[in-house]
Amino acid sequence: MIRRIPWWVGGILMAILLMFTFSTFGADRTIGASTYVPYFAGVIFGLDPEKYTYLQHIEKSGSWEAVLLLGTLVGGFFTAIFVTKSFRISLIPTAWKKYKNNSIASRLIWSFIAGFFMIIGARLANGCTSGHFLSGMTQLAISGMIFGVVVMITLVVTGRYFYNIRDK
Amino acid sequence: MIEYFNYMYEKTLEMLSLASSQGHGSLFLIFIIGILFGAIIQYTRVDKFEKIAGFAMLKDTIVPKMLFLAIGLASIGVYFMIELGYAHYHVKPIMINGLVIGGIIFGISMAIMGKCPGTGPISIAEGRIDILIGAIGGIFGGLVFTLFYDDFFKPLMGENLGKFTLPQILEGHEQITVLIFGIALVIISIIIPTIEEFDEADLTQLKEEDRPKNFKS
Repeated sequence: MIRRIPWWVGGILMAILLMFTFSTFGADRTIGASTYVPYFAGVIFGLDPEKYTYLQHIEKSGSWEAVLLLGTLVGGFFTAIFVTKSFRISLIPTAWKKYKNNSIASRLIWSFIAGFFMIIGARLANGCTSGHFLSGMTQLAISGMIFGVVVMITLVVTGRYFYNIRDK
Repeated sequence: MIEYFNYMYEKTLEMLSLASSQGHGSLFLIFIIGILFGAIIQYTRVDKFEKIAGFAMLKDTIVPKMLFLAIGLASIGVYFMIELGYAHYHVKPIMINGLVIGGIIFGISMAIMGKCPGTGPISIAEGRIDILIGAIGGIFGGLVFTLFYDDFFKPLMGENLGKFTLPQILEGHEQITVLIFGIALVIISIIIPTIEEFDEADLTQLKEEDRPKNFKS
C-alpha cells in the first residue's frame, strides 16, 4: 500500500477537484475554508444575526463551508487511520522542537495566538489559501494574486526570523 | 445546559438547510467534495507542520510545488469550462487595504501555526491537539471580527475597486493570457527544487518499505 502520494499526483487530483467544484455538474462555486469560522463563532456564542451585519453577510457561504468542513474532517480522519497511518495524539510538532523549542506551553500559546490572528487576517482579506490561492488564482483574479504575493513574502520572512534555521 | 443543547441542535438543522438551499449542490455533494479535499491533502501530507512551516523556513518545497501545479492546470481547465458554459466566474473584489493588511497578518500566522484554515481541520482529524487549541483561537478571532466588523474592520478593508481578472485587463488576448499563465505555473512547479523536511515521529510509525526512499532516520 502506498502511504503517501507524490506532490504532482496530489496537484493533478486537486486541479480535478477544483474544476469539478467549479463546474455546473458540481457545486458551481469555489472552494473556501475560512468563512465557516466566524459562522461557528456566531452559533457558539449565540450572536443574533439581526444585530451583526457580518453574520448576515456570511450566512450562505459560512453554512456551505461548514458542511464542506465536516467532510474534510471525515476524509482526513479516514486517510490518517487507514492510509497514511499518521493518526497520533500530539501536542508539539517534531520540527517545532528542532527549530524553535521543546516547550509544549510555548507551542500551545503560539498556536492559540496564531489561530486568532489567522482568522482576523483571512476575513480582512476576504479569503484564505483555499479561497484566494486555489480558487482565486485559478480564475486569474487580481485579488487572489495580490493576496498570494503578500502571503508568500510574509510567510518566508516570518519563517526566517521566527525560527532558528541558521545552524541546522 | 439542555437549552443550549437544543439551541445547537436547531442551529445545526438551520445550517444544513441553508447549505443545501443555495443551488450550490446537495448536502451529499458538498460533503463528498469535503471528503475528497481532506483526503487529497492528507494523502500528500501537505497538512503537516513540517511542510507548511517548513516552506516558511525554506526547508521544504512540496507545498508550493503542489499549489502551483494545481492552480496552473485548473486555471486552463476552468477558463475553457467557463467559455463553454459549464462554469461561472466567482471573482473576489479588490480591496487593497484588506488584501495587504490581511495578507500580512495571515502570512505571519501561517508561518507560526504551520497550518492554514483548510489544512488545520485535517491535522485535528489526525490527532494534533496544538492545532485544536489554534482553532479555538480562531473561533475567538472570528468572534472579534464579527463584533467589530461595522465599526473597525469594514472601514479598514478600504474601498472596493471591483472584481477584475487578468484576461479582462488584457482584453483581446484572453486565451493566450490564460494559456501562458497556466503553463508558466506548471513549469514553475516542476523547476522548484524538491527539498523535504520529514517528521520522524510520523515515519517511524510506518514499516521500513512504506517510508519515503529519501528519508533517513
